[in-house]
Amino acid sequence: MWLEDIPLGGKMVLGSFEFTEDNIIAFAKLYDPQPFHIDREAAKSSLYGSLIASGWHTSAVWMKLMIAQRYAQVDAGQESTQDNYISPGVRELRWLRPVYPGATLTYTTEPFAKVDWPSRPTLGLLQSRNEARDDKDALYYSFISQVLIARRPG
Amino acid sequence: MSEGAVLYFEDFKTGQTFAYGEHVLTEDEIVAFAREFDPQPMHVDPEAAKNGMLGGLIASGWHLCALTMRLTVDGLFSRAASLGAPGVEEIQWRRPARPGDHIRIEATVLETSAPKSRPDRGFVKFHFDMMRGRERVMFFVSTVMFRRHPETEGRPETEGGAPHVA
Repeated sequence: MWLEDIPLGGKMVLGSFEFTEDNIIAFAKLYDPQPFHIDREAAKSSLYGSLIASGWHTSAVWMKLMIAQRYAQVDAGQESTQDNYISPGVRELRWLRPVYPGATLTYTTEPFAKVDWPSRPTLGLLQSRNEARDDKDALYYSFISQVLIARRPG
Repeated sequence: MSEGAVLYFEDFKTGQTFAYGEHVLTEDEIVAFAREFDPQPMHVDPEAAKNGMLGGLIASGWHLCALTMRLTVDGLFSRAASLGAPGVEEIQWRRPARPGDHIRIEATVLETSAPKSRPDRGFVKFHFDMMRGRERVMFFVSTVMFRRHPETEGRPETEGGAPHVA
């Protein structure tokens, strides 16, 4: 798939993920061992009143679902290659609500712009708005992703 | 700052830099993160990665963020009254990070603010850099909440933070 083939607009569901005490603590012990992410008792007297997921966990799950979705498309023959997903960075990443154990978040992505990438003219930057919402449609997480994608040659 | 002292909002001043988090990246940790969250060949398969456009195994960008967080908790927040962060303005992945890379973190305070509506906390905006020698591997800009010092809580912020009561 070339950059030119990707339509702008239209929200695509990437998938859902249930945050549990176990996966919240397991992630945070490795990557964000603050008391309100790893210690049930200490978390009770924290600002949040309970254990909450690390924001980086919420972010890593987006990547997990994005890759799973992409490889499912490859397997289904809708994508011809398994090109790497290269990104120079992201913007406006917001952890809007604490993610408590038991929350199931559904992640979506919506491409909104294609931008030139002057240092590599064979590539272009696809910008997308990404969100994670719970089953009541409350917004927990959003950010703008930027991915470099090959332009159609010629 | 004396050893063992807790860092409150008032202890962070614009322009201050904290250096910490010396770490050598291993293939095992790169692959372990990526198998769970970012299983692309360039992050999980050293053989396939050799033929990729980046010429060998590299760490997932989200892994570098999570690792920066871990090194920041160990090197700075474990002795600070951190209350979490509402988000990140910007992340830039500038250079690939590979097994064997010797990295470290520099956190610079860009600005501080103490909203009147929430007298128990203040906001500190940091520029977190992951460095490898003099090269910047990646950075992100994030505002982190800290508890106010118990003796100055609720007082309006003065230039350079609220007055520190020793």
